[in-house]
Amino acid sequence: MINKVITTFVTLLSALAIALPAVAGKHVNWKDDGTVDLIHEDGTVINITREQLGAAYGPDEKPFEGETITVLSLDSGPKGGISGPLYSARPIWEELSGAKVELALVPFADLYSKMMLDMKNGTGLYDATITGAFFYGDLVDGNYIIPVEDIGYGTPDYGQWSYDSIPPNLRKLHEWNGVGYGVMNDFDGQVFYYRTDAINNPEMAAQYKAETGDELKVPETLQELLQISAFFNGKNWDKGDDETDYGTVLHLKVGEQGHYHFQSLSASFAITPGPLDKYHGVYWFDPDDMTPLINSPGHKAALNFLKELHKTGPAAQIGWSLGEAWDVFLRGKAVFTFSWGDVGSLCQDESRSNIKGVCGSIAIPSSTVYYDHEKKVMVETDNPVTYGNTTGGTWHGVVSQFSENPEAAYAYLAFMATEPWHMWSAANGWTGVDPGAYFNYLEPNGTATMDQYDAYGWAPTDIQMYSDAYYDNYTAPISLEYLRIVCTPEYWDIMDKNLSAAMSGQKTTDEALDDTAASWEEITDRCGRDRVLNMYQEAIGYNQ
Amino acid sequence: MIRWDKRIKLLFLLPAVIWVLALTIAPLFFSLYLSFTDVKREVVITGVEEIPILDKDGNPKTRSDGSIRTKKVKQKELQIKYDWVGFKKYKRVVNDQEYQDAAKFTFIYVIISVFVEIVLGLFLAFLFNRRIYGRGFMRSLMILPIFATPFAIGFMFFTILFEVSGPLAWMGIPFLSNHNWAPFSVMLVDIWQWTPFCFLVFLAALQGIPDDLIEAATLDTKSAYKIWTSVILPLLQPIIVLVILLRVAESAKLYDYIASLTKGGPGTATQSVSFLVFNKAFKMNDFGYASAGSFLMLIVVMIFVMLFFTRLRKTYE
Repeated sequence: MINKVITTFVTLLSALAIALPAVAGKHVNWKDDGTVDLIHEDGTVINITREQLGAAYGPDEKPFEGETITVLSLDSGPKGGISGPLYSARPIWEELSGAKVELALVPFADLYSKMMLDMKNGTGLYDATITGAFFYGDLVDGNYIIPVEDIGYGTPDYGQWSYDSIPPNLRKLHEWNGVGYGVMNDFDGQVFYYRTDAINNPEMAAQYKAETGDELKVPETLQELLQISAFFNGKNWDKGDDETDYGTVLHLKVGEQGHYHFQSLSASFAITPGPLDKYHGVYWFDPDDMTPLINSPGHKAALNFLKELHKTGPAAQIGWSLGEAWDVFLRGKAVFTFSWGDVGSLCQDESRSNIKGVCGSIAIPSSTVYYDHEKKVMVETDNPVTYGNTTGGTWHGVVSQFSENPEAAYAYLAFMATEPWHMWSAANGWTGVDPGAYFNYLEPNGTATMDQYDAYGWAPTDIQMYSDAYYDNYTAPISLEYLRIVCTPEYWDIMDKNLSAAMSGQKTTDEALDDTAASWEEITDRCGRDRVLNMYQEAIGYNQ
Repeated sequence: MIRWDKRIKLLFLLPAVIWVLALTIAPLFFSLYLSFTDVKREVVITGVEEIPILDKDGNPKTRSDGSIRTKKVKQKELQIKYDWVGFKKYKRVVNDQEYQDAAKFTFIYVIISVFVEIVLGLFLAFLFNRRIYGRGFMRSLMILPIFATPFAIGFMFFTILFEVSGPLAWMGIPFLSNHNWAPFSVMLVDIWQWTPFCFLVFLAALQGIPDDLIEAATLDTKSAYKIWTSVILPLLQPIIVLVILLRVAESAKLYDYIASLTKGGPGTATQSVSFLVFNKAFKMNDFGYASAGSFLMLIVVMIFVMLFFTRLRKTYE
């Protein structure tokens, strides 16, 4: 009997081995149809064409055999944001390339210093870093990173991806003065999420009409958003339990991502619409002399608005990070939130979310009042334009000037930038990689199809709105300029603390933003006003 | 002339001396030096040597267009320039509102938490300094918090104090989201972890007081209060001073609870000096500010310690 079982088992194994194509590794399966299956540790398969993968790789070609690269990144663990995909790609790319990948993962708070110490000392410990776009000022200023064209971009050898597949607002975060340094990975920008079932609930609509005299609808302006959020807050509109629910949930903890909420929301209050000049399209500083604009009446109106919006959510959110705020929204306890693309994809993860299929998204509505920097007055408008944002890190790889294997480092990053791999990353919430490339958007804005997202378990209504929201956000005619100058971490740190102080009542709006402006003047002087001004003008494309 | 056996002794001491010099004294002085200098660091690439990358058979690896892949080995020179700036950094730190706020919070934090820990520790030691059922077990249970990692305790209290669904949410207190309450929440964590330490030391001290001394005192007065204030507390005084010293030195370094519980917020309500200087150094790469801020803190703590030692000396002279 035992012999029979063993014989059957061996026969089956042999049959399986014969049935498999000639070359099948643990993680890479070179198929006869000219494509390649990339097999994750958990069995997930990503199919890629040989052309997309790069001509340097082949069943008998391991272009980086014997080489070792070290990649520095944020540490969120093997199944966490940003670091997770690095873990997933590592065994596959190691099998493809013959190289060895070391991951040097550090907490967010340590990333900047680790990266800069390595660069400033020229140690070359890290061949590549998954960097936030806000570090570019320091990286470019010190000439610490290599243009990708020098190490394989544009050749058919390694993973095929292109800057042309990224909308201009995001593309410029990977470049400096038109030269590409970054390999696309994550795209960050905040959009507005809402519960479609709550907004479309006839009972709530009738109540809303009775209370406010207005129709309940998806908010088109921030002022409408506030009114609707206040209406829902404190009511048990999500009838799954006995608890009262919230209007808007935010992540406002100091030292984390709280200030990004302010950046995204304040854009439509503080930026004077129009082609970029001294008064229009600017948000952070006067581009002629680096005078801070952070305490302009527009910024102050935005902060007062954010305070009001905060009152329509849990008071505790002053001390909440992303996880706590997202959890409340995903459990169905808040009708609105605005945050990064992770929320949209996490809505689809039923192990964490109760709201799959009712998770709507749009670009963040704009304010009906904004500050005119030229005329020095607040202006009212009935039809505010959409203000896009690229708020966040847009975490992507750059290769160190001091790397001994820059081409291998680039190839690893390029592998994760290929369309099939990136689609997998962007469609799965836990990866922390958010969509942004044209191939991530559904047709007709992009080239992705509903079937692709369906394969990753997305509800059709959710992905349609999500795709449109991000497309609208990244292609908006006006976008919040991104701060990419030396000392950016310092500027943001003090702003973050003062915003938190204002939100918690420790300081008034005026005190918080005036103090921020005063600190920024000191930082600018210390970091070198001319040097910073020059970088600021370059970063935003300002010509006097 | 040092004798041979003395030389041997010195030789045995040498590793420890080198250890202390290399890992404590040298970094300390370097940090002090940093607080008086502006450091300009630049890497200059003086040359690039392109070496062909070879495969396992020793042949150069090629790209798809036939070109040879090379490895660029860069000759670089690290140029570090230290500019002496005197007390400029100290002036910046002293005038910095953020540092002033952090110092104020740290001071209040140390005073309140150490005071409560001493009083509670004494009280508990008094309760346990008698024959009660299960005393050994209770004592063991009470000292458990000492052994936990402060960072982990911070996270544990984040869950306990979670205002929406935490076990204390029913109280309706904004433990972490209100700038007035948050400092007390951080103090609560410190008190929770370190009262047992005070208790343990005081209990040992109490048990060391000879019974006949107390019995003699009871002949003079029946008032327990008087025995405590006139006999026991004076006997405990050296231990109390020692515990205060240890706790002040430790509390003034407050970092872990803040990092895991509040991140210094809301606003800057719970930002300690250690947390601030750590972030300046490792988030902003501003080691000059961090060094100056740390040394200012060190000076304040040292003055405090010297005052205490002076008091101790006076007590026993």
